[in-house]
Amino acid sequence: MNEQELRSQLKSIVAEIIEMENFGDDESFVTDLGVDSMMALEIVARIEKTYRIRIPEEYLPEVKSLNDVTRIVAQVMQPVNG
Amino acid sequence: MTVRLGFDDVRRLLPQSYPFVLVDVIEEWERNSRIVCRKNVTGNEWMIPGHFPAQAIYPGVLLIEGMAQSAILLFRLDRTKPDDADSSFMIAGVKARFLRPVVPGDQIRYECTVIKMVSTGGVVEATAQVDGEIAAKADLTFAVQS
Repeated sequence: MNEQELRSQLKSIVAEIIEMENFGDDESFVTDLGVDSMMALEIVARIEKTYRIRIPEEYLPEVKSLNDVTRIVAQVMQPVNG
Repeated sequence: MTVRLGFDDVRRLLPQSYPFVLVDVIEEWERNSRIVCRKNVTGNEWMIPGHFPAQAIYPGVLLIEGMAQSAILLFRLDRTKPDDADSSFMIAGVKARFLRPVVPGDQIRYECTVIKMVSTGGVVEATAQVDGEIAAKADLTFAVQS
């Protein structure tokens, strides 16, 4: 799966949880989209379940935009796929 | 792992008190993974006269609370630092489905499975079963403040 496909899948997951479809890759979850820390936790939990990966707690504060989510997931998946 | 923690343990572990302790005992617990709790519903409880006067039904919203309290018990058993006892818990999200009514005489089995647990909160999947049949199920997200 290339980064574009991953980003598109992640966008669907995020959109379902925040109940909003139109948002930019770099829009801030907190300031632009009203996402709180528990919604970020739900996003991470859903991603972990979907991809069967584990995202360490230290990454949670970095979950600030779709770009961040894509970067973190790509980073965590790297050792598995590579 | 099968454990048996009684009502006194439950109310020591929960931040709630009467009339809002909605779990009787803990029957199973696997660290960072799952918990099974039980509650016996009787006709002699505070909510039954009003819900409803002519037909006794244990309120669905209290099934959600029972699932949430099971999640708190799981969180508390998993973390045993002394200052954890002062933590407060707040529900941040609930996605629930109710499948059959629960009535006096029923024994509710709450099962809570961890999806993601961190120091500031958790996401769990929970069911409330009666006689092996799911009466309600919910995905719960809760925040923990120390």
